[in-house]
This record gives sequence, C-alpha cells and structure tokens, in this order.
Amino acid sequence: MLRVPLSKALPNAVKAVCSPKRGSTTLAKAPEKIEVFIDDKSVMVEPGTTVLQAAAMVGVEIPRFCYHERLAVAGNCRMCLVEVEKSPKPVAACAMPVMKGWRIKTNSDMTKKAREGVMEFLLVNHPLDCPICDQGGECDLQDQSMAFGSDRSRFTDIQFSGKRAVEDKDVGPLIKTVMTRCIHCTRCIRFASEVAGIDDLGTTGRGSDMQIGTYVEKFFLSELSGNVIDLCPVGALTSKPYAFTARPWETRKTESVDVLDAVGSNIIVSTRTGEVMRILPRLNEEVNEEWLSDKARFSYDGLKRQRLITPMLKGPEGELLPVEWEDALSFASKAIRDAGSEIGVIAGGQADAEALIALKDLINKLGSELVCTERAFPDDGAGTDLRSSYLLNSKITGIEEADVVLLIGTNPRFEAPLVNSRIRKAWVHNELEVGLIGPCVNLTYSFDHLGEDPNVIEEVLSGKHPFAKKLLNAKKPLIILGSQQLERNDGVAILSKVQQMAKHLSSKIGSEWKVLNILQQVASQVAALDLGYKAGVESLKECPPKVLFLLGADECAITRDDLPQSTTVIYLGSHGDNGASMADIVLPAAAYTEKQATYVNTEGRAQQTLVAVTPPGMAREDWKIIRAISEVVGKKLPYDTLNEIRGRLEQVSPNLTRYGEAEEANFYDQAVELSKEACNKLDCEPLEVKYKDLEDYYMTDPISRASTTMAKCVQAVRKQKESKYYDSGTA
Amino acid sequence: MNLLPNLRRLVQNLVTQRTLKTSSISLSENLFVHRDSAEDNPDIKFEFNEENKKRADAILSIYPEGHKRAAMIPLLDLAQRQHGWLPISAMHKVAEILDLPKMRVYEVATFYTMFMRKPTGKYHVQVCTTTPCWLRGSDEVLSCCKSELGIGVGETSKDGMFTLSEVECLGACVNAPMIQVNDDYYEDLTPETTRKILNELKASKKPPPGPQNGRFAAEPKGDFTSLKSEPPGPGFKMQDL
Amino acid sequence: MAASELARKGPKLVKPILSIDHGEARRRVLNLYKTWYRQIPYIVLDFDIPKNIEQCRAKLREEFRKNAHVKDVRVIDMLVIKGQMELKETVHGWKTKGHVMTFFKDTQEPKPEGFLAKFISGTN
Repeated sequence: MLRVPLSKALPNAVKAVCSPKRGSTTLAKAPEKIEVFIDDKSVMVEPGTTVLQAAAMVGVEIPRFCYHERLAVAGNCRMCLVEVEKSPKPVAACAMPVMKGWRIKTNSDMTKKAREGVMEFLLVNHPLDCPICDQGGECDLQDQSMAFGSDRSRFTDIQFSGKRAVEDKDVGPLIKTVMTRCIHCTRCIRFASEVAGIDDLGTTGRGSDMQIGTYVEKFFLSELSGNVIDLCPVGALTSKPYAFTARPWETRKTESVDVLDAVGSNIIVSTRTGEVMRILPRLNEEVNEEWLSDKARFSYDGLKRQRLITPMLKGPEGELLPVEWEDALSFASKAIRDAGSEIGVIAGGQADAEALIALKDLINKLGSELVCTERAFPDDGAGTDLRSSYLLNSKITGIEEADVVLLIGTNPRFEAPLVNSRIRKAWVHNELEVGLIGPCVNLTYSFDHLGEDPNVIEEVLSGKHPFAKKLLNAKKPLIILGSQQLERNDGVAILSKVQQMAKHLSSKIGSEWKVLNILQQVASQVAALDLGYKAGVESLKECPPKVLFLLGADECAITRDDLPQSTTVIYLGSHGDNGASMADIVLPAAAYTEKQATYVNTEGRAQQTLVAVTPPGMAREDWKIIRAISEVVGKKLPYDTLNEIRGRLEQVSPNLTRYGEAEEANFYDQAVELSKEACNKLDCEPLEVKYKDLEDYYMTDPISRASTTMAKCVQAVRKQKESKYYDSGTA
Repeated sequence: MNLLPNLRRLVQNLVTQRTLKTSSISLSENLFVHRDSAEDNPDIKFEFNEENKKRADAILSIYPEGHKRAAMIPLLDLAQRQHGWLPISAMHKVAEILDLPKMRVYEVATFYTMFMRKPTGKYHVQVCTTTPCWLRGSDEVLSCCKSELGIGVGETSKDGMFTLSEVECLGACVNAPMIQVNDDYYEDLTPETTRKILNELKASKKPPPGPQNGRFAAEPKGDFTSLKSEPPGPGFKMQDL
Repeated sequence: MAASELARKGPKLVKPILSIDHGEARRRVLNLYKTWYRQIPYIVLDFDIPKNIEQCRAKLREEFRKNAHVKDVRVIDMLVIKGQMELKETVHGWKTKGHVMTFFKDTQEPKPEGFLAKFISGTN
C-alpha cells in the first residue's frame, strides 16, 4: 500500500540520487499553471492537480468514498466518476491529473448516470440496516445515495439468497466492526499503513469474496487506531464504547481542547442529557490535523467514574467523610489561617491556567512562594525564566519541514502521538532522517539509534559522532528533547548541552529556523511555568509546609511519608486518585469538559476548553473554589468572574489569553550563556523514558486511569502479546 | 374489442419490467480469514530446503534493489511447491525474507486462487467446467472423478493423495474437455480415459499428459482438413488494375 | 374650566367602587374576616395542611393586619374583593394544598448575593 520513497527501500544505496525533495516548498521552479474548465468555469491549476482537487478550487464537490486528502489515492470506489469532454468514458476524478484545456462536467447526464450506477452496485451488497447502524446520520453512503443515487431501487432478491455477508472481525476493544457494511474503500488500510505505521489491516480474497481485515486473529492496536472510525465512510468501523448510545443529530457539540497530553489536540465533545457521549477530533492544521489519539478519544468514560462529587473531610479513623461546602471551606480556611505563610502548592498535570493563577495569587497573598509543579525542570542556569527552554519552539508544523530530527530521551509515540504522527508524515513524504538517543523503542518509522548513554549528547555536540555530520549538513535540523530527562539529576547539564548544540546548528543555518524543542508530557506544565510556578517539588520536600495544596496532583511527587503528621493536605481535583487518598480535605473540582479554562500546549499555544456538561454533584470550577477559600480566609482575591480572572492572567502573561496563537519564545543565546555557567557534568546513568510500550500509554493520568475503556485496551495489548501472531517489531 | 385489454397488459408489462436481474451469489468455497488448525498454525515452522534456498536467492537476484517485494509471488509458489500447499508459516517466512509486513503477504496469497491455503493432496485434480468444456462433456468427467476418487469438489481424499476442484477456463478449449493434475494438462477426455488416468495416478504412475484421444496437441485427429494446397502467391484474389 | 381646578376637584369626584363611606367598608371587611374565620376548620380538614386551626386563624389575623394602614375606601374595597376571590378559590377547591401553604411560606427563595453565597448554592 504505502509507497516508501526509494531511498528508504535502499538502506545502503546512494542517497544523493534522491536528494531533490518531493515537498512542494522545495520545488526548484514553479511550473506554469494550466487552465481547465469545471462546468464551464475556468480555473488555473498547477500541473499534476487532480480533477477532484481542481473542482474543489471552484467550490464543486465531487462525491467520493475512497479518496481522502491525507491518504494516498486509491481510486477504487469509482464514486468520483465525472465526464470529461471528448473522453469516451467517464474518468475517476480523484486519480486523474488534469490536462490543459479540459472541460470537466460534474453535473452532466453521463456523470449522473455513472454515479447512479456506482451507487447501485454499492448498495446491491450493502445491508439496509441504517436504523440499527451507528453511522446513521453521519454516513457518507446515506448522504451520497440521497444526493446522487437513483430515486428507485431495481434490486430484487428473486432467489432469496440474501445479500453478500461477511464475518465480523474482532479488532480490539475500541473499534466495532460490521464487515457486511464495508464498501472496500480501503481508507482504514491506508490510514493504518501510512499514518499509524501499523500494517495489520489489508484486503484478503478477491472479487465479491474480498474482505477487509487482519486475516489472522489479531487486534488492530495502535495509539491512533480510533481515527479509522472517523475515516470509515460507512458503518463498518464504528466506536465500540459509543455503540448504540446516541445519534449524531441529538447530541450537542462543544468545541474544546484535549488535556490528556501536552499536544492540546482540538476536540469536539458530543454531549446529550448532561453526559459526554463521545469525543471527536476537530480540524486544526497546526496542532492535530484531523486526527486524535486514542487516549483523548476514548478515555471520556473516565469522566464518569471515580469522580469526587462532594467535599470531604478526613474523619477520626482516617476515612474521608462527605460534608457540605460550608464545612469544607471553613475547615480549609482554618487550616490555612493556622499555617500562616507556611503553605505550599503542587500543581498536577491537568490544572488549568485560571486555577493556577488563582492559587498562586492566594499563596502569595498569604506570604509564601512555595508554588510548584509536579514535573521537575532544572533550576540552574536560565531555569524557567526564558520560555525558549521549555517550549517546542519550532511548532508542530515545523516538524513537517525538517530534514533531520534528533530525539533525545523521548518516545514521542506515546508521550505525544500526534507529534509522532507528524514526524512519521515527514519521514514518509519528506525523507526525514531521525536519530534517537534514549531507549530503543518502536516509533513506527526507522531511525538511527545512537545509544542510551547521555554522554552521546556530548559526542554529537563535539562532532565526534557520525550523526553529528548529518545534523550539520541538514538545512532544517530539529532537536526534540523529552521533558522527562530534565527531571534527572543532570537535567541542567543535558539541557545545557542540547541548547549549545541547537545554538551551534542554528548559527550555521542563520535563518529564523528554531532547532531547540522540548516536548512536554502534561497539559499544565507550560502554563504553570509561564505563570511563574517553580518546577519540581524539591523545595517542598526540604521544608514541608503546614498546609499543602494539591491542585490535581496525582503522581505521588510527594507522598504522605515525606510530610510531617501535622501537615494538612488539601486536595483540589476532579478524580479520587492518589492525591485524594492522602488528603485531609478533599474539594471536588471540574474536569476539562466541565469548565471554560485555558491550557497552553507544548508549543506555547494558548487554547481554551468550553463547558460541555456541568460538573457532577457539588463539584465546582477549580478557580472558584480557590476564590471562595480566599474569601473565607480573609484574603479575598480580586476577581469574581471568568473575564476578571482572565484579565489577571493577561496581566501576568499576556500570551495566555491570546487563544489559538502560539507565542514565539526568544533569548535563545542568553539561555545558552546562562546554562553554561551551571553544572555541566553528565551522569553515566542511561536515559530512560516512562512510556515504552503501548501498554504504558493508555493509563497515565487520573481520567484515563478511571476509564474502563482504557483498562480494556491495556488488557487487549497484554492479550495480543500472548498471541502467536504478535509481532514485536510492528505492534 | 380486444385492443383495450391488450394495451393495458402491454403498459403493465412496461411498468413492471425490471432490467436488473440478480442471480444467486456464487462465492468461493475458500475461507478468506485464517483459522488455526492442527495442520496449519504459526507454531509449525516452515523453512525452505537447501535446494529451494538457492532457488529463492536466484529469484531474489532477478529483482532490482528496492523492488524485492516483486519476488513475493515466485517465492510463495516455491513454498507451495515445496510443501504441497501454502501454510501460514510459509507466508510468514516469505514476509521475513522480503522484510515486509505479514499482512502484505496474506493479501497476495489470498488473492490468487492457485495458492492453496489448506492441506491439498499430492495430486490436485482440477476439472475445467467452463462453457467449452461443459459443452464437450465436462459434467461426465467431473462425476467420473467424484465417483472414482470418492470425494466431492473441494475435498481431499483421506489418504492425502487427491484433491478435487472445479476451475474456470484453463485455456485449452480446443482440447475440451480437460483436467489439470498438478502442472500437467490431460485433454480430450472421456469418462473412460479419465478413469484410466486416475487409476494410474493411484498406482503412483504418471500417465503421459496431453490429448488422450491420440491426436497431437491441437491438430486434427485424422488428416489435415485445411491449408493443404500450395500457398497462393502474392496478388492472390487482388483485382486487376 | 381650568386644568388646575379639575385637578383640585378630581379626588372628590371619584366614583366609589362598592362602599359609600368608611362604615360600609368596615362592614365589608368584617364580613370577609368572619367568613374566612368560619371556613378555616373546613379548609384545614379539606386540604390536609400541616397546620392547626389556631395557627390558621393567627395567619388570617396577620394577613388582615398587614393592610391595617389602608385608609382609602376604594383600596379597601379592592382588597376585600381580592380576599373574596381567594376565599372562593379556596373553598371551591380550585386551589391545591401547595397554594394554600403559600400563605404560610414564601416558595421562592431569595437569590444568593455575593460570590461566596453563589458559590455555595452552586449558581455562579
């Protein structure tokens, strides 16, 4: 299916032959445009444009099933047949490049007849089960048979033999298959092969026996597998957790942002009767294109389980007892008043910017500076003062332009699946070369493994390593450093080396191209650092405060054993996870689908979630809880509404309210200079990444840990590993 | 008088006439998903023997670097010839040799009907039943095979010697009816000659392939019937100018 | 006739609703009061309200006392008419138990004011 560029197929062959890139940006000379006529409307197009694309330019949409902009052209559904003047037969618009002066008729009798014919053949073998089909209402086949199909049926089953039936496949806990509905567009196969990099799907058999599947008993497991549900134009592949729960026309759609990783994928939350029914991707070319990772798509059932719905106080026997808000607030404020300035905060991975700023303001008003994030970041050198040291500076779209990428101590496939899919996209279409320092994991594309030892970074920096030459010769090199490495003891040294390497490379290129990139793992980190949170909990461990606020901090950065008995722990979050179980006071907060909140992704792009459903039970929005406590404590925060608190956010960091825009970082050179002064000794301990395997990917935060769907995925991966057909190389 | 009812019948016929005729769906008797069985599962390892390894290398050397996957069909055929049929482990082996995802090999192996993905007898008897053979009596040949071998179409005899299948045109219509046994064509058959061939095969003898009624290839059985005279020279039947 | 004169004469020229003078109005009020007073035992029984007769009569007195300051005959008449309407609706059973109980308590709670109150009631 996938046409790997020649140089990929020839691992040892000469690369020089294929050096001209295929990307449109690097075309040597823009070729002359040619004129074609779509329904007698003239349009000038680049040579090589297909009929379908040319028609789209003048706003004529040609019906299609197999064609998809982001996948290779298959040309097998024939729905896009159109008449071209002087051509004896209709042509498949999706696969036919236009020629000069062609007159294409998208609405002629021949075109209509061709469409009706194709539609008739498709429907001959398609079951009439729309009433029990989950695709009903958003089905391309339904829509197009209404728009382009015949107005009457000629189908008679005079032998009563029934329509063609195909056995359903079990492809895992996420995708439900009804293969009889399949129209063989092969979009799923192309997606699996090209985007997901898992060649598990294919066609078997021929003619009317042809079917789509895995041939052997095997799950289709990938961190991006859910996208085939969106791609499927019919109801052959539908969402298993969503099966038979709602119809698309009865759900309310809320545009929001995913917070389960640091990519900030744009999503649509479909809700009905105050319940999240499903989550779909929302198109954003700069972030997630139209894909969505499985964790973001399917962990929504975690929003309904393990929720904190009432404030709780620790009872005499250490059990948490439900109380009213008045009691919870007065207990919390009493503890805070008693603590005076000995108070600290740990912000977890899904805290929103509003809650972060409210809590920081409150703590500062109380006279403390102990506001920390759960994830560490080196303090020496420039620390977190310069944004360039903690952002994905080249942006996610920058990856597509890169020609050499060096990944250091990261497994983007599971830390940020959509960043990885961009790297893979560049690898497939742009002949990108990838190097990896860190554990050798499967990234779905080939790479040079440079080793696990951090000293390799030094070698590459000094130019001793063979990969250094590739980096130096690259026109647009990228270095992506996993934020996890900055939590190491020698984090500052690693950051410093990488910054030096990036400076060296960018000074060679001398353009605006950014080389240095840090890939964050959690959604809150960038906003927290922008707002002046201190990264890491070391300072809290050194002098434990009397009151410790956990703002959704569930990763056990500090355990109860690190704190004296007298410390009061206040947990503010949405799920009863590790943080709540060690708390004395639990304050129920809203999850990301239940509040209008600001999140900043790893590029530094501020985006906001919107309220899709109301918080369950007595849960309240995070920043409002903090605002209420502040009033009871007697240090009233000066904002009552969302607009006011956003005004405050803007005062502190104006980029946080410029939604949709990624604020550029600067002062790269100064960051390098500052970090040079810091300790520069690398440890010998090999680099480690947290998520190595698909099994590690699914349950990483309170929401996905509470999700049964995610648990089923983990189970499925384990089951797959025991299977005879498990292929450690590809899965 | 009779005009009106006739006219009505005519109109009715026109209205109810359907132009799309369906016939009963005829699907392959093969399964297009894999089921593990005692004879066919990935635990049974498949390895090319020494001789075939050399052949495989020779096949691979034909194809240029970067297009090695084109060797898939020859390699699958080689595996089938070695093993008698094509087990799943053989597909895996081919995928391994070509460094391709296994699915890509499954796709090819299931597409071509001549790859036998289930245990097949030593002699694979393929009876052509397409129109020319059928007109010349392939039904009798087929029923003869069935009764002689004691198996139905698509089945394998218990001793593992014979598999009987019905195939579409094998391109020997001029010698219809015909059967193919492994690589050999037996043509111009009658039930008697079919029986004879099968009996010889049962006795592990190899009857001579080709037409069984004594003629040579596609030549006429008796004497030549045409093109017997001297070929006419240039200008034959041309008009005088 | 000048407009100012009209304005001066105006109040004196108004047409009475029912009563000619204060005495008659007072009689109407007392009549209404007595009728309510006599009906209360049946109301308590019919509507099965969680109040006894004394409490209801205290409420009746309270309701009448609420308007003790009204001196205008026409306003008094209007209030009497309204009271009669209430009485009729109650006695004929056009009201339900809930309606009757609204004499005793306001069904609409006051909206919370201020951030904290709103926070606790969950309305902000």
